[in-house]
Amino acid sequence: MTISSPVLRNSMRLILPITLLYAMYAMLKGHHEPGGGFIGGMIFATAICTYRMSHGALAQLRLMPVHPRVLIFLGLGLALGTSVIPLLLGEPFLRSAVGEFHLPFSSHPFHYASAMAFDLGVMLVVVGVGVGMITQLSEELE
Amino acid sequence: MKLENLIILFVAIPMGTGVIGVLLKQRVQIARVLGVLSFLATSALAVGLLVHLRSHPTGILVSQMGAWPAPFGISVVFDSLSGLLLAASSLVALGCYVHSFSTVEPTAEKRYFHALVQLLMFGVNLAFLTGDLFNLFVSFEIMLMASYCLLTFGGTRLQMTQAYKYVLLNLIGSTVFVIGAGLVYGMTGTLNFADLALFVAERQAQGRALPPGFAALSIALLLVFGLKGAIFPLWFWLPDTYYTCNVSIAGLFAGMLTKVGIYAIARTFPMIFAHGGSDAAKIVMPILAISAAFTMFLGVLGAVSHHNIRRILAVHVISQVGYMVFGLALMTQIALAGCLFYMIQHMVVKSCLFLCCGIIERHTGTDDLDRSGGLLRRDWYLALVFFIAAMSLVGLPPLSGFFGKLVIVREGWDTRWWLSIFGLLTGALTLLSMLKIWSYCFWSPQAAAIERTPENLPNRGSLRPAYAGATLLVLVALFLGFGAQPVYEIAFRAGRQLADPDEYIVAVLGPGALDEVAKYRATSAQLAAGRAAEVTP
Repeated sequence: MTISSPVLRNSMRLILPITLLYAMYAMLKGHHEPGGGFIGGMIFATAICTYRMSHGALAQLRLMPVHPRVLIFLGLGLALGTSVIPLLLGEPFLRSAVGEFHLPFSSHPFHYASAMAFDLGVMLVVVGVGVGMITQLSEELE
Repeated sequence: MKLENLIILFVAIPMGTGVIGVLLKQRVQIARVLGVLSFLATSALAVGLLVHLRSHPTGILVSQMGAWPAPFGISVVFDSLSGLLLAASSLVALGCYVHSFSTVEPTAEKRYFHALVQLLMFGVNLAFLTGDLFNLFVSFEIMLMASYCLLTFGGTRLQMTQAYKYVLLNLIGSTVFVIGAGLVYGMTGTLNFADLALFVAERQAQGRALPPGFAALSIALLLVFGLKGAIFPLWFWLPDTYYTCNVSIAGLFAGMLTKVGIYAIARTFPMIFAHGGSDAAKIVMPILAISAAFTMFLGVLGAVSHHNIRRILAVHVISQVGYMVFGLALMTQIALAGCLFYMIQHMVVKSCLFLCCGIIERHTGTDDLDRSGGLLRRDWYLALVFFIAAMSLVGLPPLSGFFGKLVIVREGWDTRWWLSIFGLLTGALTLLSMLKIWSYCFWSPQAAAIERTPENLPNRGSLRPAYAGATLLVLVALFLGFGAQPVYEIAFRAGRQLADPDEYIVAVLGPGALDEVAKYRATSAQLAAGRAAEVTP
């Protein structure tokens, strides 16, 4: 369902990028602090759905031109893939590779873990499920 | 590659196939091939590991997820109990899945049917493998989610009504389960089965009582597992649910879903919640015994009273679950082994009967006994398969059911003779109900009065997968009968490890885990010896 309010339409231009950025931040932060793929995905999906409310279904489709099913597939595939790779290296399932690298222009080392890819997969699944459900329900309303 | 790491493939293969199945929504043929390959792979892996582990000292393989050490991380354990169940469930899934090619509606097939079957088995396999209570809950949920969808594929009014009941009941069950898991964690500080067993063993060795409320917790979890396993008096959801869905799916459910509940009892109660002689055991054991008697006997009475093949078979599931609960209620090594053997043979045989029922329905267009007949002459092969499966269920000596019942009934004779008598009576009534189907459907001379519509016209070509699925399962059933010896060797080891979880604890938690307990045991043995020495002079 679309709400034709100019206030919402215009403020979405600000809300959408900030929310998407915050979603990514919440996802990445989750490795050590509260946050993670699930909550990041929820925030991401909320942003997309709000955009659908303000700009309509077509605009949302242009913003996210994939079927939610594909997102679920990619997310689950990514999560499963990252968990299976350690098996090939003789490590237990879900084992995470960790390390640090230096970003240019930063003295602070950046800690990474391959579990981040798993989290990204979770995020994709949650976005897929969230957007898919809302789309399905609002299509029925429309 | 280390063998331990491989056991997670039981979970990863169906999950991966299910994920690919989501994308292959329209490509039915590819999805079918992939699905068959997935079940073949898990069956081969399970059988291979079981054979390989026969010479292993404990027969337990443990993989710690992400290499996090045992009580903190997630342990995945493949022991004799899980191994036998995984092998049986993968083979049953293969049979039912192949059978479904000729019974499932094309519309349903394009609505994630293949993905859902894989995800159902993902949940079931995870339940058999997992080493902690919370992941058992998670796997139950995965399995139930898939089963909700599979139940409502037709979208008919009747299906929705039954599925509504089923979903509601299972939601209540899951809520109690997760509350129970939370309380277990609060009481003991761990959810890992091995760690819980260690907690109980430690308390017992020290002669201290378990925390107050532990018995109540056992009862709450028994309620949850009993609801999934359809034991008395929590069975009411089962007959209608299996009656309304697709017949191959009904076969799969009849094989899997109740057994997962029984497995959960078998895994947690002898080791933890009702471990030898604790207060909880004193309450749980009589409940299990009474429940077993009612489940066996009332279930089979229900089966005798029905007049539809599918209803008879569905109600029969309950009665057979009673035998397993009987084995659990005795909780000795041998009885637990018998219970395990009965579980796997029942999975195979009951699913096979459902698959036969599917073929019968296609032949006659109905599963009403009055309106079908003369099938023996029309399809002798189906009659043969059905007869073998039915007699295995009844427990005619060289067939699989006999060996299951023999061990349980004999073991029960000394301590709970009344249960054994109920068991034997139930066996006789089972024979009666199976003969009822046999004589009405196959033996009765009059040809079935069928309205021949294009849908129910039997077509050998389209039924070929159905015959293949049923044949596979009947062969497995025959193997379980004639090859009962090697299977029982593994089952006895499983029973021993359940009744005395020391090997399991050491395998999961590491070699030093039992040191503390051993010290206490040695001291109390010394004390006992000292006391005995004081008494004798």
